[in-house]
Formats: sequence, structure tokens, C-alpha cells
Amino acid sequence: MSVTSAADHEELDRLLLRTGQSDRKAFAELYRRTSSRLFGVCARMLSDRREAEEVLQEAYVSVWQRGASFDPTRAHAMTWLVALVRNKAIDRLRQHPGAAVDHDFEVNDVADEDPSPASRAENSEEYHRLEDCLQQLESQQRRSIREAFFSGTTYNELAERAKVPLGTMKSWIRRGLLQLRACLEA
Amino acid sequence: MNTHNDDDRNNLRYAEYVLGVLDADARAAVAREIASSDEAATAVARWQQHLTPLMQTLPEVTPPPYVWTRILHALQWDVSRDTTPRRSIFDSLRLWQWLGVGASIVAAACVIVTLRTTLAPRHEVVATTLMVSSIRQSNGIAGWTATMDLSRKEVVVVPASPAAIAKDRSTQLWLIPAGQKPISVGVFASDTTTVLPLNAELLSQLGPTAALAVSVEPVGGSPTGQPTGPVIAQGAISGAPEPHASGKVALLIPFAMPNLPSA
Repeated sequence: MSVTSAADHEELDRLLLRTGQSDRKAFAELYRRTSSRLFGVCARMLSDRREAEEVLQEAYVSVWQRGASFDPTRAHAMTWLVALVRNKAIDRLRQHPGAAVDHDFEVNDVADEDPSPASRAENSEEYHRLEDCLQQLESQQRRSIREAFFSGTTYNELAERAKVPLGTMKSWIRRGLLQLRACLEA
Repeated sequence: MNTHNDDDRNNLRYAEYVLGVLDADARAAVAREIASSDEAATAVARWQQHLTPLMQTLPEVTPPPYVWTRILHALQWDVSRDTTPRRSIFDSLRLWQWLGVGASIVAAACVIVTLRTTLAPRHEVVATTLMVSSIRQSNGIAGWTATMDLSRKEVVVVPASPAAIAKDRSTQLWLIPAGQKPISVGVFASDTTTVLPLNAELLSQLGPTAALAVSVEPVGGSPTGQPTGPVIAQGAISGAPEPHASGKVALLIPFAMPNLPSA
């Protein structure tokens, strides 16, 4: 499902809170509503489908076990869930670096992964604000940050894939992150 | 004393942690900080809020239904958390209450409940994992409830308030995995309890992203392997929400149950 409205956020927050109170029905409903979104994240980060399934399974087991630590005043349920599943996937990538989706990415290519206007229409207000701030970065910074988030790979691997020196990649991402924060927290 | 540069540097580490570019050691160091420092946890949560909306551009991918089954197994939902086997008949009634059948109605309907309770030694429990579905008719009233027992590899279909079916027709149960064609579970009696076996294909497809449906077919079932008659009821599948008796429970229930209040 796409989570776009405040009502969607509230419903997921409620389901995750009830999951934290060991409500099995709420957990099943939470899975029904969020598993495709989270599996999309796993499938993008891990090249092997079986590993992606294992990470998704581990993540939901943790959701059940650690749901009580969810604090809706700190983050929306979807943010909490994505962070949890990404952390699991990144841990696995660090254990088996070969598990990453291995492809070069071209930092200067105009036709890279910038989302199309059509896909933008379906996304939330938070996304639009982030996207507007990303558009203010240089394209190398923007592409590197996006690729880093989607792939979960290290500076080293990113530099290798983009065929630039490590120092260059670090500097693109770090300057980009600081500018992004300045723009988002302005 | 923290200088502005120190703050920036720290904050960058949290951002790099969230973005996922740190190596294993640096990640572990930040994870420890999050656990021990509220300030670090807040900074990380803030970066998560900033960056997570990026995932909205990724396509959603429906996981195969067996992932849910594996989650249930990993959580051992069938096992009561205190690991003490419970043998009270009320434990099995709890399942029925959840299914929308009040205990008083169950009692009134002359239910024969056969409990085959495994008298397992302490701490040894028999794993049974249940999934349930309330299969609702187009008027919103539950026609049947289906309880899928993954360890016994069978589904028990119990009539709730099914509409009358013509004598020369059969009701057939289908499992519909998300975005796929229906798979026949089998022909069942619309007005009495039926137990149908679940083969490996069906078991692998069971989960909350799949649904059950009932169609009206010629006697003996659909001749084509796909529904040919009208679909009269459908239901989502969910895990049984309450721990139930750790022994195996067989429910043999000849229901003569006129007009149940809708579940």
C-alpha cells in the first residue's frame, strides 16, 4: 500500500502499537498492509531472492518481539519499519558483501534514477519536500545519496561502482547530507 | 566542549549510519551509541525521518505467502508463552469466541468437542499452527469459517450462516494467492462440517496475502479446475490471534445452527 495520508499513518501507528501489546490480529493486519512495501526494499538491497525473503522474515519476527519499543512521537510506524528492515538487510550485506545488487551506477547520467513526474503524484508530502531539497544538490551528490540509500552498500563499494576515488564519493555524500539537512530543517 | 565542527561530524556519522554507507565496525559503534545515548537515538531518528521517504519511489513487491507461514513458525505462535501445556476445554472455546461464535451459542448447539490432548511432559509441546478465515457472503454475513491447521495439513470448514444451495449443486472452496489464479482446495458440504486435506502446494500459498473463496459448481466440483459458477463468499486469511491449547484439538461439530447473529 502507499502511505500518503495522515489517516494511513495513524492506522499503521495504531496497528504497530497494538502489535507491541501482543495483539496477533493487529500484527497480521500490519503484515498485510506493509509487507509488499518492505519486501520491495529488501528486493532492491539483496540480489538473491531467498536472502530477501529471509531478511523480511527476520524483520517481522523482530517487529513482533520489539514492537513495544515503538514510540509514535518519535517516528511514524512506516519509518520505524523501514529502518528495521534496512538495518537487517545492511547487517546481512556486511556479513556477505556478495549479496549486494551489483550494478554500476552513472552519477552524471541524466536518465538515471530520478523518479518520473507520474510516480511523484502518488507520493507523500514528506517525499515531495525531500525531493525538492534533493533537487537543490549537484547531480553527483543527489545520485550518490539515492544509490547509497537504496543499495545499503559502503563508501568503498559505491566509489568502485561509480568509478570515482573513495575521497570523492565521501565528499559528495557528506556535503550532500549537510546541505540536505540545512534545507529540510530550514 | 563540543565545537560546531564536532557537532557536524557527529551528526554526519548518524546520517551515514542511516544512509547505510558505514562499514560493519563503524555501524556497530553507532548502534552502541544509540542504545546508550538519548541524544544519539534522537539524531538517528531524525535522519530516518528525513531519508526514509525515498523508499516511496521503490516498487512494492508482494512476498510469497510462505514467508508469513515461516514467521508464524519462527514465533511459535502455537505454543503458549508460559510453556505449560493447557488442557482446559475453555482454551479451545476461546478459539470459537474469536471466530465470532459465542460460548453460549456453542453450548446451545450441542457441540461435540473431541479433545485429543497430548499429555506431553512439561516443556515438551506439540506444535500446531492455525490460520483462520471468516468466509463472508455478499450480504456481509459469514457463510463459513475455515480453520487451517498447518501441522495437521488440513482445513476444517464449519458452516456459520450459509445461504441455501440448490440440491444439484456443490460448493467448492478455493485458495486465491495474491494476483494469481484460484487453486481448488476441494468440494465441501455447505451445511455440515467438512475436513479437507491441504497438499504442499496449498500449504506453501497460505498466508494473509491470500484469500479463500467459495463458488457454486456442478455436483462433484468444477470440471475445468477453475471456478465456473458464481463466487458466493470470500474471506481473508489471518493467523489465529489467541494461543490455544498446546495439545492437538479436533473439532467435530455437526452444526445445526439457524441464523447465527452475524459474526
